[in-house]
Amino acid sequence: MTPPDTTTDPSWLRQQRELAWKTYAALPAPTRRDLDWQRFDIRKLKLDTLAGDRPAITERLSSVTGDGVIFCDMATALAKHPGILQDYLGKLIAPDEPRKFNALHAALWNTGALLYVPAGVRVTLPVEILYTLSGTNVAGFPRTLIVIEPGAEATVVQKFIGGDGAISLHAAGTEVFVKDGGRLHYISYQDFNPNVYDFTLKRARVGRDAEIDWVIGMFGSSFQRYDIECEMAGEGGTSFMYGVCFAEHQQQFGQFTKQHHRAGNTVSDLLFKNVLRDSAVTNYTGMIKVEKNANGTNAYQSNRNLVLSDKVKCDTRPILEIESNKLRCTHGATVGRLDEDQLFYLRARGLPEEQARHVLLEAFLEPVLARIKVEPVYKEFSELIHRKVSR
Amino acid sequence: MTTPSPELARGPYKEGFHDDLKTIHSVPKGLSHSVVDYMCDVKGEPAWMREFRHRSLDIFLKTELPAWLPGLRDLDYDAITYYLSPVNKSSRKWEDVPEEIRRTYDKLGIAKEEQKLLGGLGAQIDSEMAYHNIQDSLSKKGVVFLSCDEGMKQYPEIFREHFATAIPPEDNKFAALNSAFWSGGSFVYIPKGVKCDIPLSVYFRINAEQFGQFERTLIIVEDDAFCHYVEGCSAPVYTTHSLHAAVVEIFVKNRARCRYTTIQNWSTDVYNLVTKRAMVSSKGVMEWVDGNLGSKRTVKYPSCYLIGEGAHGEVLSLASADKGMWQDAGAKMVFMAPNCTARINSKSISGHGGRASYRGLVQVRGEAPNCRVQVNCDALILDSNSRSDTYPVMEIDGELVTVEHEASVSSVSDEQLFYLTSRGIKKEDAISMIVNGFIEPIVKELPMEFAVEINRLINLQMEGSVG
Repeated sequence: MTPPDTTTDPSWLRQQRELAWKTYAALPAPTRRDLDWQRFDIRKLKLDTLAGDRPAITERLSSVTGDGVIFCDMATALAKHPGILQDYLGKLIAPDEPRKFNALHAALWNTGALLYVPAGVRVTLPVEILYTLSGTNVAGFPRTLIVIEPGAEATVVQKFIGGDGAISLHAAGTEVFVKDGGRLHYISYQDFNPNVYDFTLKRARVGRDAEIDWVIGMFGSSFQRYDIECEMAGEGGTSFMYGVCFAEHQQQFGQFTKQHHRAGNTVSDLLFKNVLRDSAVTNYTGMIKVEKNANGTNAYQSNRNLVLSDKVKCDTRPILEIESNKLRCTHGATVGRLDEDQLFYLRARGLPEEQARHVLLEAFLEPVLARIKVEPVYKEFSELIHRKVSR
Repeated sequence: MTTPSPELARGPYKEGFHDDLKTIHSVPKGLSHSVVDYMCDVKGEPAWMREFRHRSLDIFLKTELPAWLPGLRDLDYDAITYYLSPVNKSSRKWEDVPEEIRRTYDKLGIAKEEQKLLGGLGAQIDSEMAYHNIQDSLSKKGVVFLSCDEGMKQYPEIFREHFATAIPPEDNKFAALNSAFWSGGSFVYIPKGVKCDIPLSVYFRINAEQFGQFERTLIIVEDDAFCHYVEGCSAPVYTTHSLHAAVVEIFVKNRARCRYTTIQNWSTDVYNLVTKRAMVSSKGVMEWVDGNLGSKRTVKYPSCYLIGEGAHGEVLSLASADKGMWQDAGAKMVFMAPNCTARINSKSISGHGGRASYRGLVQVRGEAPNCRVQVNCDALILDSNSRSDTYPVMEIDGELVTVEHEASVSSVSDEQLFYLTSRGIKKEDAISMIVNGFIEPIVKELPMEFAVEINRLINLQMEGSVG
């Protein structure tokens, strides 16, 4: 990796990138001694062999109509809407992010998209962003910025694909602002080819009486570290965070979620469902943090793991840190196999064992899929899972 | 919710007095190899133990604190006295215990009468056991209940076969510290098939200031045997800190059962950093009942290593974090054999600015199919100055397992309070009832005298926490 070329950047962005690069260079590479990395092996990823100085991501954006809605790629945004970028970019993903690969992203991001929805505007059709990683031994760094002004509404579908035979790096960042009374339905999924190493950080700030409704799909890549964090910054805000992961072969997934309640009477709900097959590895680490004055918080977190092979490794760490005393906060985590009774029930009704297993697997993941309110995307998730289930 | 008046926090700590006791043995403050040598000389220990202690001190000095364990960086190891004793030897008759020490124990209510309820009683003050006795009916069956030092002298083979095999000094920094300076504690041996129905009890007292107590307990329950061991502890209130770093190793052999009950009520000067581990063989049952009510900081995760097929582990943990306390308690279950089961049930209360953390580990190794474990953690927060954390880790290799973890944190709900107060119950009594109901599933597992004591302490802590 080489330091960012900042010759065309405005000064605020240059400062961000330089600080990010300094942070990246100063941070040690993660090792298995770090609690978060105990189960992961990313030794095949050799940063010095990757070309990171040119964009390896191409973005394709759907068209959007609406009063004053801005939806464009980052290059256009920098040229035409520098004010918006200066106001929001880097406010949630700090340049001195203390995680090596996130800092690398903050220094080198070179593609991406901006969605800006002005106050009170409802964007009825889903806004779609398709990121494709191409080339061999490349590194792609897309940044997405979503700003939903007060009372505005939108649905965003973000999809990541691509990656050729040789090992590639993908380090992405998404910043989401949902302001007072705003609503965002946000679906993001990746189906990278094997050999992509993916590091993704998504952060959202949810305002007063605002709502964010997340669905995250984790299907491809050989390694993915996913950090998804939601800050409940205004009274009455709501976050629904749903995730589905189908881990097979030697795939490794690290899922790190945070529900951060800073304001009172906020609600957060989380469900992450993982299926593990072959020699897959998953680590779910979820934090619910409730600050001292966030009274009336209602937070829930659930991680369910279905294990189909005796070679998998499945860790789960649901964490609570609570400093408020007027709240209700619960979490649950399970690791288990297919229910023999359910299997028996289906077989007794004439379903062959193979098919009965498929039905149960798909049923296990359905509660997450059912959160997708965009019909074609729901179908795509279902088909993807169906293909994997009946492999 | 109103902020409780701080002077009512914790209620009167009736164990907070200290007595001026004549010291017979003591060493200068701070840790050094010469302290180790002094202790070995005074105790007349074999060469292997001297070597073990020196090696452990070296391990302690080069072991780092784990990154996940915050809040212990400012512990000043050199301000602490590592060996100090007001007694010369452990007496078997209560009358032989020096009078001034007897007075201390009388004040704590560990009177001679209590012995009638117990199969054996031990009393440790600072570094040494002042008293250790067992009922004749039990010793006739071959039950051994001695101070750990005596155990090493009288049963050298059994002792050496087990000592430091469950918790080697390399295990963690405080296990190494204990291994270097251990003194006192119990040695319990229950022969094959013997059911020791009456509890064996030990009371640990720190009297000296800026002192480190490092008792070491070794319990061996042979095939088909049973034993219930109960420990309690307290210390005077000083303005300086003391350190209590115990190591407890338990071996539950085939089909045997052991229950280990702790009521920890240290003063809020004491750092309580304890390693407790049981190795459970085939179809054996280990039960930890762990009550933490005192100390400045407790770090303690009683653990069961289920090494034999069909073994069962259980931890019942109760933590009450009051003003000035951080209860970092929890449990560890490690599955190393097929068909094992375990259950962890933790209840914590934090009030008056206290902090209660549950930290737990469930680890299932690939060679342990058909294992089942259930974890339940409930926490109650009484006011807005207090804090509750849950840090469970579950590491599962393989397919044939069922792991369930559930936790919840809540406050005393307005609905519950309204229900009780509308029936004419005073608000304070109502809160006390709700809290006692919350901890009931654990308290009912305690021996009667302890259950009464816990309820008294909890009620004292409740005073002034009117929501």
